[in-house]
Amino acid sequence: MKQDFPILSRKVNGKRLVYLDNAATTQKPSCVIDAMSEYYSLSNANVHRAVHTLAGEATEGYEACRKLLKKRFNSNHAIITSGTTEAINLVAHAWGESNLQSGDVVLLTEMEHHSDIVPWQMLAERKAIELRYVPVIDGRLDMEAFDVALDGVKLVCVVHTSNVLGIRNPIEKIIAASKNVGARVLLDAAQAVPHEEMDFKELGADFMAFSAHKMCGPTGIGALLVSNDAFGEMEPFMGGGDMIETVTLQGSTYQTNEHKFEAGTPRIAEGVGWAAALEWLSNIDLESHHKRLLSIASGVKDELIAKGMTVYSTLGPEDAAVISFTHPTIHPEDFARLLDAQGIAVRTGHHCAQPLMNKLGISGTIRASFYLYNDQSDADTFLSGIDRVLEAMA
Amino acid sequence: MTWSVAIQEIIDEFQDIDEQFERLEVLMDFSEEVEVLPIELWNERNLVKGCQSIAHIVVEVTEGVVWMKAAADAKMVQGLQGLLSIAVNGSTAEQVLLLTPDFAEEAGILNSLTPSRSNGFRTMFDMVQNNVRMLIQ
Repeated sequence: MKQDFPILSRKVNGKRLVYLDNAATTQKPSCVIDAMSEYYSLSNANVHRAVHTLAGEATEGYEACRKLLKKRFNSNHAIITSGTTEAINLVAHAWGESNLQSGDVVLLTEMEHHSDIVPWQMLAERKAIELRYVPVIDGRLDMEAFDVALDGVKLVCVVHTSNVLGIRNPIEKIIAASKNVGARVLLDAAQAVPHEEMDFKELGADFMAFSAHKMCGPTGIGALLVSNDAFGEMEPFMGGGDMIETVTLQGSTYQTNEHKFEAGTPRIAEGVGWAAALEWLSNIDLESHHKRLLSIASGVKDELIAKGMTVYSTLGPEDAAVISFTHPTIHPEDFARLLDAQGIAVRTGHHCAQPLMNKLGISGTIRASFYLYNDQSDADTFLSGIDRVLEAMA
Repeated sequence: MTWSVAIQEIIDEFQDIDEQFERLEVLMDFSEEVEVLPIELWNERNLVKGCQSIAHIVVEVTEGVVWMKAAADAKMVQGLQGLLSIAVNGSTAEQVLLLTPDFAEEAGILNSLTPSRSNGFRTMFDMVQNNVRMLIQ
């Protein structure tokens, strides 16, 4: 599979690139790069407006992305956004502003990415709503505390798979319990969609936010899937072109479909690129890759522990192949820098999840995250790289 | 630009290294050049902002001569502080104010660091110069 990804043949600091920062963003196969290049070379025009040929091709290319999203995830509504963050902010504005009142409760977890905390803190300031957080114990959500905290909740916002630890939360249980108390459910699926096939309707959530770039698509584009019921409760957030039906000086009427929430010229080339990525992924058996990567990651985890690291990821059978670890004395930044000098890309820091870092009692970790194109040779190079760092820092 | 002998030696040493890993190892060795700022003196005022690791710098000017003490939790930041120490310690305030951070670029050190860390180096450099400027006013 590596040959589908041109970037993987480049060298970094004179060494073969071993890219293990996939939880931050994934690399792009040639078909995505070609589709975007071809769009700009042959079909570039604005969408949904003009009648000329290019406009038709651009509209078709962009809307193909929406069609593929709806099909892949089995959803009636797919609002195209700039990514997961904008999708969650859209829920806070378009749904939260009109459906939450002072004193209403939104339930979050300590495992959330900042993108699923800050929009709610901002809404809490505007609307005086209450925020509750489900605690994390030993790296996993405290489900007993979740059941207790659920009382009187209007909206549950939960990360499907943690970007820090790779842990997959018991989403099905969380959705079922939330529905029992009549709460709406928002899933942050940014780290979930790259790793497993998901059926939005079957899951029964109301909102699902994710980004293209974590699943081999371009940056700058993502989606918010919305259930029929929740879609009917949303009010337009941003006003402008494309989201209107009619505009007079006295007032405006709005589109009734997803366009209502997509003011302005959308990310057309990115939509075309994402469509290519979705087509490409449709030929990939995610489940077998998941098992393969988890097996490689488990081997790496064991080696890291044997080399004296503290590993925070549990790598359970449903978790993503993400390994967050620290060394007792070597600073994560030094570690990552010395790995990069050997062509190995990993992430360090708090991974935009400071509350979780605080809970783990650390300021940051080194994170190696695996994806479809990674193989055992990458794991072996990574472990040799670790050995060299340990030797240099001894 | 013409550098002091000490800075020129640093530039030459780094330019002689071919491998990135070794360059970083040498950078970390410069941590030994730092006069360590004791942890009890770390505070918000001497915290280096814009650096991913926790770093502190205190600058003194005694009879016109500059001396810096520093500390950081990451070894590579300590190395950068060591380079700065060589560049400024024992120099006059006027000499320090005439310095530019270009020497790190010329040595190929900034290119070998992440933008945030490079910015951290520049932040530390600016912090030293600003402190000197304030102290001689």
